[in-house]
Order: sequence, then C-alpha cells, then structure tokens
Amino acid sequence: MKVFQCNSCDYQSISNKYVCPKCLKGKLEELEVPSTGTVYSFTDIHVAPSEFADIAPYTVALVQLDEAKGKVTVRVNEPVQIGDKVELENVEKGAYLYKKI
Amino acid sequence: MTNVYVHGIGMTQFGTFIDRTMKDLLLDACIQALEDAGNPKVDAVFVGNFMGGSIYNQEILGAIVANELGLGFIPTAKVEGACASGGIALRQGILGILSGEYNTVLVAGVEKMKHASTADVTQAINAAMDNDSNEKHAGLTFPGFFGVLANRYFYETGASKKHLAMLALKNREHALNNPLAQFRKPTTLEEIMDARMITNPLGLFDCSPMTDGAAALVISKEKSAIHIRSSAQASGPTQMQDADDLLSIPAIRESGRLAYEKAGVGPEDIDVVEIHDCFSMTEMIAIEELGFFNKREGWKAVEEGRTKSTGDKPVNTSGGLLSRGHPIGATGVAQIYQLVSQLRGNAANQVDNPRLALAQNLGGTGSYSTVHILERV
Repeated sequence: MKVFQCNSCDYQSISNKYVCPKCLKGKLEELEVPSTGTVYSFTDIHVAPSEFADIAPYTVALVQLDEAKGKVTVRVNEPVQIGDKVELENVEKGAYLYKKI
Repeated sequence: MTNVYVHGIGMTQFGTFIDRTMKDLLLDACIQALEDAGNPKVDAVFVGNFMGGSIYNQEILGAIVANELGLGFIPTAKVEGACASGGIALRQGILGILSGEYNTVLVAGVEKMKHASTADVTQAINAAMDNDSNEKHAGLTFPGFFGVLANRYFYETGASKKHLAMLALKNREHALNNPLAQFRKPTTLEEIMDARMITNPLGLFDCSPMTDGAAALVISKEKSAIHIRSSAQASGPTQMQDADDLLSIPAIRESGRLAYEKAGVGPEDIDVVEIHDCFSMTEMIAIEELGFFNKREGWKAVEEGRTKSTGDKPVNTSGGLLSRGHPIGATGVAQIYQLVSQLRGNAANQVDNPRLALAQNLGGTGSYSTVHILERV
C-alpha cells in the first residue's frame, strides 16, 4: 500500500497533493506501508447508483492503516464492525478490495 | 458588515411538479421577489443550479431570467457549487455589490429533479464527489459518506439511531406548519426508525428527498429592514479518507468562524438558524461545528428539544432539506427566504422576536460551505 508523507510535518494521505494541506509548505513523499488495518467506521450501501446497483448491498469501510497515520476508503467483501482487523485482498477497477483477517 | 440589504424574497411550493418546467418555476420565484422588492432596476442576475445541464438539458439560466423578465442586457451567470450553488450565488451577488459594480442584484436558485429516475439522479449527484479517486471506485456515495460518519459518531458518543430519528422528526414537525414544504404528512419516531435502510444506519427519513422548486431574492446596497451582516465561504476535503477528524467538517467550521468574525457576533447571539440537513447526521455535525453546542454533544441538545422552534436554539424552522425539500440549486436561497420571513415576523414556526439569523449551505461531502448572518435593523 502506497501513502504520501509530508517531508516537513506529520501529515499523511492516501493521495498525493501539490503542497501539504496541513503545514502549507512541505512536499509529499511516497512511502510503502503494509495494507493491514483496523475498521475506523463503515456503512452498508443498500441504495446504490446505477454503476454499483448489481453488487448492492455492499460494505464500504474507512480503514486506519496499522503502520501509517493515513486512512483509506475500501470495499469489504462482508459486513464489518468498528475495530475489525482487515487486509488488502485485491485491487479492482481502481478500488481497494479488503477482507477480514 | 456588508452594508448589503435584502429587499425582496420569493419561493415556489417545493414538491413534485411534473407539469411545470424549470423555467416556469425559476421565473415564478423571481417575479415574487421582484414584486416584494417593489420592482427595482436590476443590475445583474446570479442563478444557483446544479444539474440543469446533466438531467434537464438546460443551461444559460441567467440569460433566460434577464430575457424573459425584460431586465435588459445586464450581466448574468449560473453558479454551480453542488448543493451550495444557491448560497454561493447569493455570495457572488453580495461581492458584486461590494465591488461597486452593481447597486441591485437578483439572486435565484432552481432545480428540477422529479422527472428523472432515482438511479439517474443518484448518478448525477455523484458528480459532486471526486470521481477520479479510489474512494469513488470503492462505491462510496453521498448517503454512504454520512452513514460512515454516523456509525463513528455513535461509537464515540452516547448517541444512537434514535437521536437521528428525533432530529428528523423535529424537522418534519416544523414542515407541517410550512405551506411551501414538500412533506406535510405527520410521522412518528417509530415510522422513522423502521423505515427502509438506505446506507446503514441512515434510513429513508434520514435522507433529503428529490424535489422540484425555486427561490429568489433581491439584494441591494440601498437600505432595508434586513441587513446581511456577513457572508463567508470555505472549502474542505473532497474525499472522506482525507478527513483529519471524521467527525468534523472543516468547511462548515471555517465558514462559520469567518462569518462570526466578520459580523462581530458569536453563536450565542444567533436567534434562529437554517442548516444544511441533507442528512440528519449532517445537521448533527453542523450544530456542533457552528459552535451552538460542544463537539460530540449535539445529540444531547436534540434529545432535550433545544433545536425545536420552541427551544433556545431553533434550527430549520422551515422543515429543513429533510422535510421542506431539497431542490439542490434552490436550497441555499430558500434558507434565506425562511430567515427573512422570521426577521420580518411572519414565518412558518415564527420564533419570538428574532434579531440575528444564520444560514449555512453545504456542497458535496464537505467540499463547499457558505454561511450568511442576517440582522433585523
């Protein structure tokens, strides 16, 4: 899992930014971290837009990565609760697909 | 202090109007506002609208207003800022007057949604998310974002689904007394709690509806009884995974802070409030971010009835987006319609002798927020 770490403060994001939005001066640098994490929060999407209607209901979770400050939004292949341990299973059409450990 | 004043307000009934066109709704609200203002000479028009192009195949709304109302060859524009389109249109009008370019501006907002299918509207609304992101590809939606927020809020506080239901019920009870509201059918806490799930824990009554409708205002540097004491706007993270604190929406907080600072007042001075309750959870976060209640304690105020029209901090006396309705581009303008009515003393759910009123309009999942503070002078 790739995250971006500011070189002058503790800001970290899953996506790159031109300038660090926290200290407004640092540049973000790529950092490789393990994909394992903990469910920070989640929802089950019962009413989906047309492009996801065929897989509804499905679970989307915000995952706090274990070894990074950053969080990542993922789809999980089964219902979860806050605090569940999860890891990356696959990357499909630009989405991180996670599973419970 | 902007030294810009509200002279006229207009608003159509909100609801389902299959037989009325977007132009018809828009002009109706504009004519009401112009008549209310005594038909002054208008120097510019700003129209808030979000999906006229994508689901109704109609743009150039500013020029249509100027042409159909015979306002002359004045400058006009459509303003898009997702669900904050109306609030940003008002702010652009105010800035145009503050710059010295205009004396009097017509500000309007309109949306036509009920002719389209829910799936098509949901897809069009998703244009207000960052679609080139792993988050969007994971299948996150608007109600999904606020569902994730709500589950974390429950986890960190003593709140539960019942508190969101109490908030939704409060806004429905306000709408019962508003003749222009979309939903005027009484409901119960049980019906709200048992409703069809949309994005756990949010059910049908926790989500604002699709609505047809329009609203309009005439603002001017000439004095009137309603002064726009401040106008502020802020942006925030366009992705959930970029939130530093998931239970904070920085655009709301920052636009509120700026508006209080410019107006020289604080949250304790505000007598009546319209908040962008696109979801019940959004109002819960916003009453905290705007400083009316402590962080992570808004649910207690809801439980105690403090945000009812009879409470000490009345919120959404119009019925809010949840029950007055949410014609996206019109919403930010309709909030001002309700607050001006409150300050004039003839509103639905009139509160006792208000002097200061605050409107907060949100776009995206925290991408844009405007706050306007109005004062009866």
